Amino acid sequence: VLAQTGGVKVPRNFRLLEELEEGQKGVGDGTVSWGLEDDEDMTLTRWRGMIIGPPRTIYENRMYSLKVECGPRYPEAPPFVRFVTKINLNGVHNSNGVVDTRAVSALAKWQNSYSIRVVLQELRRLMMCKENMKLPQPPEGQIYTN
Amino acid sequence: MAENSGTDPTVDSNVVENAASDETMIVVTVKTPKDKEEIAISEDSSVAQFKEEISKRFNAKQDQLVLIFAGKILKDGDTLNQHGIKDGLTVHLVIKTAPKATVGGTSQSSASSSGTPQANSSVNPSAAPNDSTTPGTGPTPASTQPPNLLSGFGDLSSLSGMGMGSANFMEMQQQMQRQLMSNPEMLSQIMDNPLVQNMMSNPDLMRQMIVTNPQMQQLMERNPEISHMLNNPELMRQTMELARNPAMMQEMMRNQDRALSNLESIPGGYNALRRMYTDIQEPMFSAAREQFGNNPFSALGGNLDSGVQPSRTENREPLPNPWGPPGTTPSEIRGTGASTTTTSSAGGTAPSASNPLGINASGLGNGVFGSPGMQSLMQQISENPQLMQNMLSAPYMRSMMQSLAQNPDLASQVCTTSALSAQQQLMQQMLQMFAGGGGGSSSTVTPEVRFQQQLDQLSAMGFINREANLQALIATGGDINAAIERLLGSQPS
Repeated sequence: VLAQTGGVKVPRNFRLLEELEEGQKGVGDGTVSWGLEDDEDMTLTRWRGMIIGPPRTIYENRMYSLKVECGPRYPEAPPFVRFVTKINLNGVHNSNGVVDTRAVSALAKWQNSYSIRVVLQELRRLMMCKENMKLPQPPEGQIYTN
Repeated sequence: MAENSGTDPTVDSNVVENAASDETMIVVTVKTPKDKEEIAISEDSSVAQFKEEISKRFNAKQDQLVLIFAGKILKDGDTLNQHGIKDGLTVHLVIKTAPKATVGGTSQSSASSSGTPQANSSVNPSAAPNDSTTPGTGPTPASTQPPNLLSGFGDLSSLSGMGMGSANFMEMQQQMQRQLMSNPEMLSQIMDNPLVQNMMSNPDLMRQMIVTNPQMQQLMERNPEISHMLNNPELMRQTMELARNPAMMQEMMRNQDRALSNLESIPGGYNALRRMYTDIQEPMFSAAREQFGNNPFSALGGNLDSGVQPSRTENREPLPNPWGPPGTTPSEIRGTGASTTTTSSAGGTAPSASNPLGINASGLGNGVFGSPGMQSLMQQISENPQLMQNMLSAPYMRSMMQSLAQNPDLASQVCTTSALSAQQQLMQQMLQMFAGGGGGSSSTVTPEVRFQQQLDQLSAMGFINREANLQALIATGGDINAAIERLLGSQPS
C-alpha cells in the first residue's frame, strides 16, 4: 500500500481514492464508516463520517455523523473534522461540533500515514474514556445548525 | 413498408431491455461489528427493500436496522444506486435493540485484545451471569495497555459504572497490584469489606475464580488434590470463612509460625518429620480428606519435603500428618502457604490443599479499597463472578507464588501438628509472606527444652511417643491438656 510507506509522499488524490475504496469496502472493525459527501466531488475534499457509539457508554446505540474536510495539503496536513450530530464530548465545541485539533492526538500529532479512519476511530476511543463515557448527551438526532 | 416512427414498439422495447435490466443482482456485504453476511439484492432496490432482505438474514425487525454506507445513513426511501452501492461493496449495519442491549449492534468485537499475556482464555469459560447487555465483550483499550490484574476481563461492562475508562482502569489495576505487594495490612482491611465477604461466602464463585486461573489450572494438574479440594464445597466454605475472619487467620498464622519454627529447631526433628511424611503421606492424605468437613486444613498433608527443600517451587500437595489422622496435619500449611502467594485483588488468594481460596492476607490496599471506585468495583464483582475469575489471573499472582517458593522460611513453616494451629500458621504465614518474604520466626529455645516439664508429664502418663508428645506440645503451645487430647485423638483407643 503505497500510502502507508513512511517517507514517501503520496499524491493526495491517490491517497484519497484509496480511502474512498476502503470506506466502501468496509475496511476496519465496522464501528466507523466514511465516504465522500458527494460522489461527484472530483476534488475529494468533502467527506462524511459515521461513528457508532461504543457500548457501555452514554454514546451507546447512537450514530454520530461527521463532516471531514481534506484540504489541499492532505495527507501532509490533518483533515478538518466536525460533528454534525450533536454530541457532548471533550474536545468538541458545544456550539458547532468542531473538533479541537489539540484534543485529539491523531490530529495534534498528525502523520501522513494516518487517515480519516484513524481519526474516526480515535474519536470513538475518546468516547470510551472515563472522562467522556458518562457525559450527559443531548437528545438523539439533533444536529448542529451552524 | 414499415414506418419507423418514434413509437416503434419493437425498437422501444429493445432499447428498454438494453438500457436497464431490472434483474441485475449485486452482492453486497452487510457487516456488523460482530457479523458479516453477503446479501444478493437487485441493484435498483430501494433501501427499504434491502432492509427487508437484511432483516430476514439477521433475524431482526426492519425498523431496528440502521444502514450506513460511506459515512452516511441510508434512509428507507433512498435507493442503493443513489448512494453508489455496487457489487462487492460493504454496508455497515447497526441493529438497534432495546435501549441498552446491543445485540450484534454496537458491541465491540474484541474484548480481550488488551494485550494480556494470560487469562484471556479464562475470560469466558464459565457461564457469565450477565444478561444480554454485554455478551462477553468489553471495552477495547489501546492494545498497549500493560497486562495486569484485570486485563483478562472479558466483560468490563460492569465497570463502566465506576466511571473509569479502560485506560484508567488498567492503571488502577496496576496500582492495586503494587499496593497488594507492599502492604500486608491491606488484606485485613479488605476482608472487612462486606462486599468481599459476600463474595467469599459464595463457594461456587470462589471455586470458579480459582479454577479459571491458568496458574491454578497448572497447579491442579500437578497436584490433583487441589482440584479435589476445590470440589469440596464444605472445605471451601470453611476456608472462605477463615478468609473472611482476618483476626482468626492472623491468630492461626502466628501460632502456626511459632510451631513451625520450634519444630525446625529440634535436632533431627525435621528429618524425623520428613521420614514420617514419606512413610505415611499416602494414608494420611486419604485420612485427612475425610476430615475435610471438620477442618479445612485437615487435608493438608504436609509437604515436609518442600519444607526441607525450600528451593522447590511451591508444592501444593498436602503434607501428611505424622501425628495421626484426626485433623492434625502439619504441612497443610505448607501447601496453603505456598498457594497463598497468589493473591487476588478481592482477597482471594491462591488455593492450596487446605486453603482452596488461597486466602491472601496481603491486602488489596485499604486506600485502594476505600475509594469509591473500588467500592463499586466490588459491587460489580459480586454481581459478576466472572470478573473475579478474571482478576485472579493477574500476573502478579504468579510472582507472589514465586516469591513464596523462594522463601525457605515460609516453606519450613508448613509443618504443624494441630489443625487449628495449622490454620493459624497458615494465616500468619501468609501475612508474613506478603509483608515481604515472611522471615521465619526464630526461636532460640528448642521446644524440647521449653516443654521439658510437659514432656515428662506426658511420658509419666503413659504417652511414650516422645516425638508425638513434642509435636503435640508444640502445636498446643505447651498446653498439656490440649496436647493430651491431640495425642489421644491420634491414637486408636
